[in-house]
Amino acid sequence: MTDLIQLLINGLAIGSVYALAAIGFVIVYSATGVVNFAAGQFVMFGTFAGVAMLLNAQLPWPVGYGAALLAMALFGALFFVVLYLPLRASPVVTIIIGTVAIGITMQNAALLAFGSWPFRLPSPVESVNLTIAGATISGHAVAVVIVTALMVALLWLLFFRTSLGIGMRAVAQDIKAARLMGLKVNRLLALSWILAALLAGIAGLMLGPMWFADTSMGDPIALKAFAATIIGGFGSLPGAIVGGLFVGLSEVLGASYVSSAYKDLISFGIMILFLLVRPQGVFGERIQDRG
Amino acid sequence: MLACNDLTVAYGEIVALQGVTLEVGRDETVALIGANGAGKTTLLQAISGLNPVRSGEIVFEGASLAQLGSDHRVALGISQAPEGRRIFPGLTVEENLSLATVNWRRWRQSIADDLARAFDLFPRLKERRRQLGWSLSGGEQQMLAIGRALMARPRLLLLDEPSLGLAPRLAEEVYERVRQIADSGLTILVVEQNTVLALSVADRAYVLETGRIVLQGTADDLKQNTRVREAYLGR
Ligand SMILES: Nc1ncnc2c1ncn2[C@@H]1O[C@H](COP(=O)(O)OP(=O)(O)O)[C@@H](O)[C@H]1O
Ligand SMILES: [Mg+2]
Repeated sequence: MTDLIQLLINGLAIGSVYALAAIGFVIVYSATGVVNFAAGQFVMFGTFAGVAMLLNAQLPWPVGYGAALLAMALFGALFFVVLYLPLRASPVVTIIIGTVAIGITMQNAALLAFGSWPFRLPSPVESVNLTIAGATISGHAVAVVIVTALMVALLWLLFFRTSLGIGMRAVAQDIKAARLMGLKVNRLLALSWILAALLAGIAGLMLGPMWFADTSMGDPIALKAFAATIIGGFGSLPGAIVGGLFVGLSEVLGASYVSSAYKDLISFGIMILFLLVRPQGVFGERIQDRG
Repeated sequence: MLACNDLTVAYGEIVALQGVTLEVGRDETVALIGANGAGKTTLLQAISGLNPVRSGEIVFEGASLAQLGSDHRVALGISQAPEGRRIFPGLTVEENLSLATVNWRRWRQSIADDLARAFDLFPRLKERRRQLGWSLSGGEQQMLAIGRALMARPRLLLLDEPSLGLAPRLAEEVYERVRQIADSGLTILVVEQNTVLALSVADRAYVLETGRIVLQGTADDLKQNTRVREAYLGR
């Protein structure tokens, strides 16, 4: 029982990271139609932005986190200007291949800058341990779940309560109509890339203390985030959240109760099952929403 | 108010508009009539800044629009209810309406008066204000498209086939509203295949055939014109 509580919290924590990565992926996909194959490397960059600010520059927590997220926001804007704007008139496949190329470049750049030796990114709450029903629970894991819940609430407010967010949804649904309404479409598209980079940054900063920070960590995260969006429903934000949590839980529980050798097999097995049986995922993509 | 001078618009090799010259004066309602594929939508999209112009120019209130993006054109007062309505399907009626105010709305400024005016014109929209766009009927979507275009506080309203796909009675109802909007003093350029309805609200009209203006005149003159009667009025 105490084991189970621990496992559940750890599964939710790692699932939260996948969920945030998946949300960023879905935001970009809905707004621009681009399947961002560099999404995992975005998270890796988030972790290493933390390494640079907190370990290398030794900045205090709030400043270090702020600087890392600012760097990620700038990176999202750069990605929009350097990759998306020049290629947006090209076939979507070209842009997708572009994201693959940039992903590889990002990984190699990180390797050059940080080397292949893994880092341990600290957490401000790593010395905090909670005891719930006799189970010792890592403060960091709880913090990750809380921060993720907060982020989801903030995103909901943005998308449903501000004209900026409503404009972003409009652009995702019908870009031509959005132009006719006088929306500054390019700005809103740039904002979706920035938002995706920020969410990846937060995911990366929270993931660092759970895994070792390693420049090759992007690929497994991309696979998990991708599995999350398939299981939850491609293009659906609630689906990304549910799918991410599901993948995290199945991975942690599978590693403990079945075998750690099979933990990925379980989540990918379920993903393939969804692809075969219910390709629209749990939430399905409401076709009407896409116009 | 609006002038297109010798306008040519092409999609790659396909020339959709060739040397189109037309004018819309202040407070006028002008109709552009033409069969499917004549180039009507192409013209409205060029005016709104969605299609690049190959040659010629579009002038609004004395200034060329050539360098302006679509957002600036809306800010100048050019607003469009596009072909096929293009309601945002996943936004509520109210979100669809409020979105169109971005060009004039300041931080925290109320849009209540504008919403009330749109709901006065189209009471059905008020009943449906919290429903998502996709759930509306065709007629309601058309009303929302026009109401949304009005929320931008336009000086020139562009309507692209507002009768398209509507049952005759509904199409007439939509045109009653168009007449009401015209009577309130707004300048309108309406594009139609339904010649009877378009000529019923227009002061003047142009006839477009395969990208060229072939006829123009007052609505009354065109109703009597043999060519228009045979080709477009079916009698
Ligand atoms: N996006 C496009 N790409 C290529 N050709 C187009 C495009 N849109 C319209 N056309 C062509 O331009 C011509 C005019 O089309 P359109 O302006 O839609 O006519 P209308 O609105 O009068 O039915 C047609 O021959 C059509 O096939
Ligand atoms: Mg048309």
